Amino acid sequence: MTDQLVHVENLTVAYPMADGAVFRAIDGFSMAVKRGQIVGVVGESGAGKSTIGKATLGLLDENAVIDTGGVMLDEVMVTRLEEHAFADIRGSKVGYIYQNPMTALNPVLTIGEQLIEAIEANTNKRGQDARAYAIDLLEQAEVPLPEERLSKYPHQLSGGLCQRIVFAIAISAKPDLIIADEPTTALDVTVQKAVLGTLVKLTRQENIAIILITHDMGVVAEMCDYVYVLRHGKLVEEGSTAQVLSNPSEPYSRELMAAIPRIDHKIERFAVPGGLGKAEDRERAIDYLMSRKADAGVEGAPLLSVKNLSKTFTMKATALKAATDFKAVSDINFDVFPGETLGIVGESGSGKSTVGKMILGLHKPDPGYEITYKGHNIDDLTSKAQKLAHRQSLQCIFQDPYSSLNPRMTAGDNITYALRAHGVLSRAQALELSGDLMELVGLPRASARKMPHAFSGGERQRIGIARALSFRPDFIFCDEPTSALDVTVQAELLNLMKDLQDQLGLTLLFVSHDLAVVRQMCDRVMVMRSGEAVEIGACDKVLVAPEHEYTLGLLAAMPRFRPEEVA
Amino acid sequence: MPVDTTTADIGSPSSPDKPEPRFLENVAKIFRGHPAAICGLIGISIFIFLAIFAPLIAPQDPYDQTRLDILDGLLPPGSTLGDGTTSLLGTDALGRDILSAVLYGLRISLFVALVAVIVGSAIGVFMGLLAAMKGGWVETVIMRTVDLKMSFPGILLALMVLAIFGTGIDKVIIALIIGAWASEARLVRAVALSELKKDYIHAAQLAGLSDWRIMGRFLFPNSISPVLVVLPMSISSAIGAEATLSFLGVGVPITEPSLGLLIANGNDYILSGKWWISIFPGLVLVGMVLCINVVADRLRDHANPYLRGKE
Repeated sequence: MTDQLVHVENLTVAYPMADGAVFRAIDGFSMAVKRGQIVGVVGESGAGKSTIGKATLGLLDENAVIDTGGVMLDEVMVTRLEEHAFADIRGSKVGYIYQNPMTALNPVLTIGEQLIEAIEANTNKRGQDARAYAIDLLEQAEVPLPEERLSKYPHQLSGGLCQRIVFAIAISAKPDLIIADEPTTALDVTVQKAVLGTLVKLTRQENIAIILITHDMGVVAEMCDYVYVLRHGKLVEEGSTAQVLSNPSEPYSRELMAAIPRIDHKIERFAVPGGLGKAEDRERAIDYLMSRKADAGVEGAPLLSVKNLSKTFTMKATALKAATDFKAVSDINFDVFPGETLGIVGESGSGKSTVGKMILGLHKPDPGYEITYKGHNIDDLTSKAQKLAHRQSLQCIFQDPYSSLNPRMTAGDNITYALRAHGVLSRAQALELSGDLMELVGLPRASARKMPHAFSGGERQRIGIARALSFRPDFIFCDEPTSALDVTVQAELLNLMKDLQDQLGLTLLFVSHDLAVVRQMCDRVMVMRSGEAVEIGACDKVLVAPEHEYTLGLLAAMPRFRPEEVA
Repeated sequence: MPVDTTTADIGSPSSPDKPEPRFLENVAKIFRGHPAAICGLIGISIFIFLAIFAPLIAPQDPYDQTRLDILDGLLPPGSTLGDGTTSLLGTDALGRDILSAVLYGLRISLFVALVAVIVGSAIGVFMGLLAAMKGGWVETVIMRTVDLKMSFPGILLALMVLAIFGTGIDKVIIALIIGAWASEARLVRAVALSELKKDYIHAAQLAGLSDWRIMGRFLFPNSISPVLVVLPMSISSAIGAEATLSFLGVGVPITEPSLGLLIANGNDYILSGKWWISIFPGLVLVGMVLCINVVADRLRDHANPYLRGKE
């Protein structure tokens, strides 16, 4: 038994494409993992990170071809093994942890059945022995009340608990290696911290090596000994975590590190190259956008004022259950002043998006609320024209770029269709405006003719911004606009939003679960938990010296990306 | 040089000037490697060609009573008629050439089914979209009507309609439309409901667009694909339904015989050994429905992403 566990040598995995070309998901990649070492593989989506893990376990798609090189696991060339030979490796020598624990577990079997099945398949423990060992494993994975959990089904447990059970299954045979593919991406930060802690403890205890595949530099900084940076299937840089994170030598890694939002201090702009459009077109767009009626209400008064905002969702009665009320938002009060950015942070299910949707008028709040916009109570608007003007003055940038554009309209039509439908613009004017707005958000005007599917996620989000801007709004609700994007794309988009806000004096309500993004974007922040506002105040105060212990907990749980300290 | 990832793919293969994939290329892609479906497609093309050009191809005009000679009646396939021509598929009791009758019958069967399915689907799609968009009592009324319609056996409903309105090509089409719209409405409503949850619909609402515009430009184009996939299947079942009604004598009038009516005409003679009168229209009917179903199957599999991965 040598110290060297995994040795990836010049691995190239290729996929033949429909048009005859070959797509190299992994291109000449080499990597070495020692026993007990935690190695991070980082890169943006599509960089080929997951392919490495899959190649090690023989889980590549049927049409994938290993062109050169291979993966040596404990002196066995696993990439040359026959399918049946993998059965001896999967589970017993290598464990796999998936991104989404809810789908990794079988929903129709109990936790106990799944765990004991894994134990009996990969160890020589049977019956009561296996059961006792299962309880022991759950205890090690820090699952409270392990005996009770054995008879539960996955849907009865939280995502964090499910991931701990996946850990227990993965370590049950005491493998040499665990491949963790984005193990905490689907979890809230507070859960993520505890879950990662457990994973490190378990593997250190058994001297298990981990290949951690992730896009989150904070997680890498906290967990890994050694890091590989991947881009387009090629190795960009490797080195100890401290060296790569604090002093990256390659331009791409430097850009990657610069794009990571930091919570400890606010920076003016991220140091990433910004795609700016033609100056002339951008100016025309700015002129158009600035020509909106300057009606911000009374000087010094809030643009938007929200009082006693609540929302109760009623679950319909079924044969088995009486109707139940779920209070998504309860009694929220806040003001947003012209030109500022108010952030709302909270974990999933805290009601932060619901607040925004009620302000936009997409959800009807519970009675007893009062929303004042530009000095008028929005329920006092009577004429059709007033209502339309109000509606268009508040716009939204949505979370999921893949569902926020009409897939059957060109990008340009997506931006200006409504203005044409309302008879505000002629066909020619609409074409002109959509082109100008495309340039303003950093896309070439010619691409306005393309359909949404031809754009990447970040580009779609830019089109979504252009659409929101087309109405010359004063207020934009940003509903986690970058949570589906890679970190460099996120940085570019956040830069763009800051630029636009500076130029146009927009007022933003910015919802996010990422405290660091909020720190970079917002002037003030409201922290929400289970529908209630926990704390509201200036970012510099709430995110630095919070008063409420919940905020404190959120801050402590955040994986810190502080290269100085790693070094 | 650090490449700007957000603009990196502009100018690459998926660039603005590349035309969207052509219709024919798409069709070729769907059918490549599926010989049965290709045969079906060829079969459908032949049937449609025959139906359109029946008056030019048919040796005889079966509607022209003056041309018929009772002496030519009930001749087996390949017989020579009184005017010296050869009847390839034989003649019926009136001396009508079976080949000609089948070609004209095909024309009527296809016409009736196509009109009924297209109009029926249009009504169904509209009702489904309306139910999804409006919700409330509108949805309740539409969907309960659908349930009511679905609880009748199709043929019984058609018989009731024809009993009320009388027979005739237009009445058969109405009966088939009433049979066709409900399942399309149910299908479209389900798809539209899931589309309505997507953010592009919310964006349209924030733009202050009316429900009708959202329905027409946003919901409709994004909910229509499953209907297009089941359309061929609906056509083949409409052909079958029309044939059944005509066979029962409540469908198309005797002066414009469809395939079903031709089969019925031969029914009286089949036991006396005059098999050709019923068999040939029957074979054409079966062949056409089979071809359409094979193609429809292929389209359905293609539309199912799970099966597509297995190919």
